[in-house]
Amino acid sequence: MLEAAGNLLAARQRSALALVGILIGAAAVIAMLNVGGIARNETIRQFRAMGTDVMTITVSSRSSNAVGLKRADVEAIPAVIPAVAEITPFVTGGGMVAFGTTSHNATFAGVAPEFDDVVRLTMQSGRFISFHDDYEAYCVLGARLASSLGGRGERPRVNAKIRVGAYIFTVIGIAAPAVQNPMLPLSVDDTMFVSLPNARRVMPGQIMGAAVGRLAPNASAEKADLALQAYLNPKLRDAYLNVQTARQLIAGMASQMHIYTLLLGAVGTLSLVLGGVGVMNIMLVSVAERKQEIGIRLAIGARRRDIRALFLSEAVILAVAGGLLGIVFGLAASWGFAWLSDWEFVLSPEAAPLGAGVSVLVGIFFGFYPAVSASRLDPIEALRAE
Amino acid sequence: MLELEDIVRTFRVADRDATILRGITLRVGKREVVSIMGGSGSGKTTFMNIVGLLDKPTSGRYRIDGQDVLTADADRLSGLRNQLIGFVFQSLFLMPRLNVWRNVALPLFYRRTPLPEAKAQALAMLERVGLAAYADYMPNQVSGGMRQRVAIARALVGRPAVLLADEPTGALDVQAGQDIMDLFMQINRDLGVLIMIITHDPNIAAQCRRQLVLRAGVLVDETHLAAA
Repeated sequence: MLEAAGNLLAARQRSALALVGILIGAAAVIAMLNVGGIARNETIRQFRAMGTDVMTITVSSRSSNAVGLKRADVEAIPAVIPAVAEITPFVTGGGMVAFGTTSHNATFAGVAPEFDDVVRLTMQSGRFISFHDDYEAYCVLGARLASSLGGRGERPRVNAKIRVGAYIFTVIGIAAPAVQNPMLPLSVDDTMFVSLPNARRVMPGQIMGAAVGRLAPNASAEKADLALQAYLNPKLRDAYLNVQTARQLIAGMASQMHIYTLLLGAVGTLSLVLGGVGVMNIMLVSVAERKQEIGIRLAIGARRRDIRALFLSEAVILAVAGGLLGIVFGLAASWGFAWLSDWEFVLSPEAAPLGAGVSVLVGIFFGFYPAVSASRLDPIEALRAE
Repeated sequence: MLELEDIVRTFRVADRDATILRGITLRVGKREVVSIMGGSGSGKTTFMNIVGLLDKPTSGRYRIDGQDVLTADADRLSGLRNQLIGFVFQSLFLMPRLNVWRNVALPLFYRRTPLPEAKAQALAMLERVGLAAYADYMPNQVSGGMRQRVAIARALVGRPAVLLADEPTGALDVQAGQDIMDLFMQINRDLGVLIMIITHDPNIAAQCRRQLVLRAGVLVDETHLAAA
């Protein structure tokens, strides 16, 4: 073994080139596994905040005289469809909000008082919109919106006055930062919440186009979807309904991840094969160059399997060195990916052993032919070689 | 020890058979020191390859230490070479990346001798050829004469019955060559190993008790001629 390592060190440059191929392959495989793990972890994190029983309804209008959801219809759903435990409608839109001398683009949401319960919204300060606030000019700010208003000077606090067009709203609460949930058609942190009646003021002409709810325990997502379509569709005009449940979304994300994983896996396999061919090439050159050495080894009593083992171990050392570097690079790449996408880095426990195992196999597979051809050399021919 | 009977070796070169050895019959006993002379193309190297079990004759019989070796397969021949024969080649053929004692121990490595024991035997053999102080040097750090001694130590470390030397003094100056010859004689006395030296140098050949000459594939014993 030591000898094999020494021989590789002597042919540093060529060894390094073969190493690079294996390195890229192993890195791709490691990155694939680890990024997959990170994404899975991220999905779990997103849904841990709101739970996997979340469901949303969105309405898309087909024309300008579309009729959307009605508050009473939506609030009656739990009584009509037992699969839905709770549900609350909301209106979304957007526009400029001004505080003091600064203004900022914000998402608007007109919500019912149950909204904070259904989406598990927590408050940083103040309180959320309540039953008594329907006709009060009150608003609640998302965490990021609150901190970006006010510029370098004073931040909006509870009781601060926020201007939207011709209306002045009083801030009654600021929400705590929330993990973005892919189910919601709005980003809670960037939103200004007002009551449903006030929504008509800040978003004139906007139909009530969304609702968020929770499925009853053990309820079937598909059945709830069908029941909701059957119940709500006749009440809409020039609009259509879209029901989305967290479970369906997770399944969709999983199949997306699967395609992505296959793709990275294909890239990894391809570069491992190319790296393996590189290893084979280098080993063939090495066998051709070291014929005399093989001859002398045979003359002093090396058997065919001794010669085979010598060259095979060189190939495997080469592949494993590439594989170990590949593990480092792959983990670094997935760390970079997590950092760029602001996701939490997690180490997949199977990544490193799999990468090392795969590179050993590549070394054995692609080192086998050169090693066998070395072991089949005729000792006289080999000794005579230059 | 070595019994060769009517050895013929024919090579096919460009669709024609070229007969290099034409019926060589030879018996060499244990403890003999034999020289084989011959000009270029006389078949010296082919003869040595056959004696050294690196090649097989086209026809004839060859027994070494009482064993018929012509039916053995490649791995068995490797084993027999390892056990019975030590080679000293014309070009030195040391492993450049192994130090002196590891080079010497290489035949024992292929015999699966445990490392500490192999090292002890290699060091003992280096002592015998006068290189005990150089055990940890690399081959390119010692002189040509020393390298030849390392090669001899490697040939002897497995305690072979036969030592085959192909032009062992060819690359050395007269004094270094003479030192090597003295070493061979001493080894022959001390270890009782059969030594066969292939050379084109009459001075080297003259020092061997038995002198053979290859001419156009035929072996002639000229010991008595030289003595006369």
